[in-house]
Amino acid sequence: MVRPAPVAPLLALAFLLTACGVTRPTPAPTTTALGPVERILANGVRVVVQEFRASEVVALQLWVRAGGRDEAASELGLAHYLEHMLFKGTTTRPRGFVERDVEAAGGRINAGTSLDFTYYHVVLPAARARDAIEMLADVAVNSSLDPRELELEKKVVLEEMRLGEDSPRRRLVRQLYERLFDGHPYGRPVLGTPELVRGLARETLRSFYRRHYVPEAFTLVVVGPVTPGEVLAAAEGTLGRLPRGGVSRLPAPPPPPLVPVRLDTERPGSQAHLALGWLAPRLDSAETPVVDLLAAILGQSRSARLVQALREREPVVSSISAGYSALEAAGVVTVTAQLEPANLGRAEAGILAEIGRLRSAGVTPEELRRAVTAAEARHAFSLETAEGRAFGYGRAETIWRLEEELAYIDRVRSVTAEQVRQAARRYLDPERYVRLAFVPRPR
Amino acid sequence: MSPAGRLALPAVLASLLLAGGAGAEPGAVRQHVLPNGLRVLVRESASAPVVAVSLQVRGGSHFETAETAGVTNFLQRVMLRGTTKRSAVRLAEAAEDIGGRLDAAGEVESAEVRGEALARHWEALLALVAEVALAPAFPSEEIEKERRLLLSQLRTRADNPFPAGFDALVRELYGPHPYAWPSLGRRASLERLGREALVGRYRELYRPDRMVLAVSGQVARARVVRAAERLFGKLERPAAAIPPPPPVPPRTAGRRVLERPVHQAHVLVGYRGPGLTEPAYPALRVLGAVLGGGMASRLFVELRDKEGLAYSVGALAPYRTGPAFLVAYLGTAPASLEAAEAGVLRELARLRTERVGPDELARAKAHLLGRLAMDRRTNARRAWYLAFFEVVGAGWDFPERYARALEAVTAEDVAAAAARWLTGPTIIVLTPVR
Repeated sequence: MVRPAPVAPLLALAFLLTACGVTRPTPAPTTTALGPVERILANGVRVVVQEFRASEVVALQLWVRAGGRDEAASELGLAHYLEHMLFKGTTTRPRGFVERDVEAAGGRINAGTSLDFTYYHVVLPAARARDAIEMLADVAVNSSLDPRELELEKKVVLEEMRLGEDSPRRRLVRQLYERLFDGHPYGRPVLGTPELVRGLARETLRSFYRRHYVPEAFTLVVVGPVTPGEVLAAAEGTLGRLPRGGVSRLPAPPPPPLVPVRLDTERPGSQAHLALGWLAPRLDSAETPVVDLLAAILGQSRSARLVQALREREPVVSSISAGYSALEAAGVVTVTAQLEPANLGRAEAGILAEIGRLRSAGVTPEELRRAVTAAEARHAFSLETAEGRAFGYGRAETIWRLEEELAYIDRVRSVTAEQVRQAARRYLDPERYVRLAFVPRPR
Repeated sequence: MSPAGRLALPAVLASLLLAGGAGAEPGAVRQHVLPNGLRVLVRESASAPVVAVSLQVRGGSHFETAETAGVTNFLQRVMLRGTTKRSAVRLAEAAEDIGGRLDAAGEVESAEVRGEALARHWEALLALVAEVALAPAFPSEEIEKERRLLLSQLRTRADNPFPAGFDALVRELYGPHPYAWPSLGRRASLERLGREALVGRYRELYRPDRMVLAVSGQVARARVVRAAERLFGKLERPAAAIPPPPPVPPRTAGRRVLERPVHQAHVLVGYRGPGLTEPAYPALRVLGAVLGGGMASRLFVELRDKEGLAYSVGALAPYRTGPAFLVAYLGTAPASLEAAEAGVLRELARLRTERVGPDELARAKAHLLGRLAMDRRTNARRAWYLAFFEVVGAGWDFPERYARALEAVTAEDVAAAAARWLTGPTIIVLTPVR
C-alpha cells in the first residue's frame, strides 16, 4: 500500500480538528444490550469500556483534557506539537516502536488536537489490547521528547501549516474563528505560528506536558471484543498508578459578544469563497440538538434549503453547506460557499433570504423528518465500528458527559418544528454576523 | 467513485486480503439459493441499527474485450442514473429518506450495486437495490453525461504518476488479456460504446445464475430471504452457459522507461502469480508482506529508513481469479532513481536466496491478518466480502479458510513461492521529462 510518512494520518486529523473545532456531538447506542462501563480510578483517571463483538478489532483511545485553549498566548501550538512528539520514543521504548508494535500487527495509530482536547487513537487485533494499554500509559507520561526529534519535527509541522494555508476553506473557517472569538482562546490557531514553532524550546514543551498530562486529565476508552474486568485491571495497573497532578484545569471563559465584521481578502485562484458565521449554543446546552437540525435543514444535504435555493434552482454557487460546531464553552454556526466572484453579493443576499424564511415561516414536518433521519443514520453508522463508538464516548467523557451522549439521539428525535424556528430567530441574526470572503487576486 | 478511490482499492485489497481473521463470525451467515439460481447470503448482526446490501454479478473487466473495455463499469454507473420508475435525483433522495445511500461500480472480477440504510428500512433498501438492478432505464442524455465523466476520470488517472505507472505495468504484464486494462476502461472504447452495447452487456450479466445478493446488519434472515424471493424470484435463468473469461497468454519480461511531467520518480516491478484459490496464493501474499507490507517490511526498513532512498514504498497483490500479480513499488527523488531501483531488485533477489526468519514470518502474517480484520469492520464491507467471494467462485467463507491458510504458511512455502514466481521481472520506470 502507498504509505506516506508515518505521521501523515496524525496530520490529517489534527487538521480536521484544528480547522473546524469540534463537530457535532457523536451520539450513542440505544440498541446494544451491553452499554459502556464507566469507572473513575483513585487518582482521577476515567476509564470507559464496552464489550463489542462485531469484529476482532479493538479500539483504544487516550483522551486528554488539554488543547489549544490551554496555551498561554505567548506559547501557541504546544498541544499540537506535543501530539506529534508523543509517539517518538519513551524512556523505555525506542523510536519506531509504533511501527514495530502496532503497524506490524496490521493496526493503526492516529491522533488529533482541537481547542478543547487532544486524543490518541489505536485500532488493532484484540489480542493486543493489553499491550496497547501499556503503550498508551507509557506515552502519556514517559515520552522522551528527544531534542533531535523535536528539531526534525519542526519541518513537518511547518509543512502542515503551509498545507492549511493552501486550503482556502480551512483558512477561511480559521479566520472566522479569529473574528468570532477575538481575544478569546478559541480565536487562536491550534497549530501555533511559524515563528513560535521555529523557536520552540524543549523545556517549554516539557513543562506543558508535565502540567497537562496528568491522571485527572486522562480518559481511557476501550471498545471491542474484550472483557471489561480485564481492561479495568490493566488500566488500574498502568494509568491507575500515576501520581495525581493536583492542579485543576482552568475553565474556558465565555465567548465575547459578536462584533459584526465584513472583510474581503485577495488570494490566488479563480473561484471566490464566502463564509458567514454566528455564535451558537455551547455543547452543554438544551438547544444543541435543535441547532444541529437547523444546520442540517439549512445546508447539509441535496434537499437542504441553501443547496436548493442557491445551487439546484439557480446556479449562484458551485457548492454550499452549513455547519454547527459545539465546543465546550461556545458554539458556531457557519455557512460556507464556493462561487464565481461576481456572485458574491447575490449569494450573501440569497443566504440571508433563506434564513429570513426560516425565521418567519419555520420548517416543514417533511424537512424536520429528513433531518432527524439523517442524524439517526449518522449516529447509527457511528455505532458500527469500535472506533466510532470509542470516539463518541471519549469526547463526551472529556468535554461533556457520557450519559448526555447516550441520550443525545433521543433528544434529537423530540425536537419540534417550532423549536427549530425559535432557534433560527435566536441565533441567526440576519443583521449581526461575521462575513468573510476570499476573492481571486487580479492577475 | 473518484479516481483516487479507484487507485486506492487495489492497494487496500492487497493488504487486506492477506489477512484473515480469527473470530470472524461465519456462524452468523447462511446461504439460500432461489429456484432460479440466485444466491442470497444473510449475515445477522445486532451490533448497530444499520443494514448494508451488496448485489454482485460475475463479470467485471476480466470478461471484456479490447473493443468493450470499460463497458461493465460504464453500465453500472448508468444504472444509477435512472430506472423506469425514478430519475437519478429521485433515487438519491429515496436513499436519503431511509438514512442511506446507493452506489454502483464495475470492478475487475465482478460488478456491484450496493446500498446502506437504517436497519428499520431494510426492506425499502432491498427494493431500491432491486429497482436499480432489474429496471434500469438507460436514459440517453444520462449516458452521455456519464461518458464525459468517465473520460475525465481516465484523464485524471493518466495525469497521476502512480496510477499511470501502475496501468503501464499491468499492460506489460498481461498484453492482450483483459487484466491489462483498468476496470474504468480505455479511451477508445469509452468514446465508442453506445446505449445498445450497455443494454447488451446488461442482458449478459444480469441473469440469476450470475448474481449473488448479500445482506448484513440488524435484520431477520427469514424475512430477508422472503423479500429477496419476491423481488428477484421472477428473473428467468437463460439456458445458455456463462462464457468463461479468456485464457492468459504467456508473459514477456522487460523494462520500460516512461517520461512524464512528474517531480518524483517511480519504479514498479511486477510478476505474475497464482490466482486466489490456488494453493500457492497464501504463500505469495506472505512473501508480499515480508517485502512491502507496512512500515516494518523490508522495502520500508531497508530502502526508506536506512538508506533514505524512497518516500513511498510498498507491495501489492489484489484478489484475482486468474493469474494475479505481485507488484513492488517505490517513489523517490529523480537523483536517487538508479540506487532505488537497484535496491528493490536486490531485495527481490534476497527473497529468492535467503530463508525468511521466524520473527519476520510471524510479523508478515500478523500484518496480513490484522489488515483483513481491519477491513471487515462495517456491514458494508462484510456484505462486499460475502458477495464477492461467492460470486467469483471461491465461496463466501473463503476469507476464513484463507486466514487459516495464511497462518499455516512456512518459511519453506515462502521460499518456494519466491523461486517459482519471482523470475524475469517486468519493470516500469517513470521519470521526469528530461
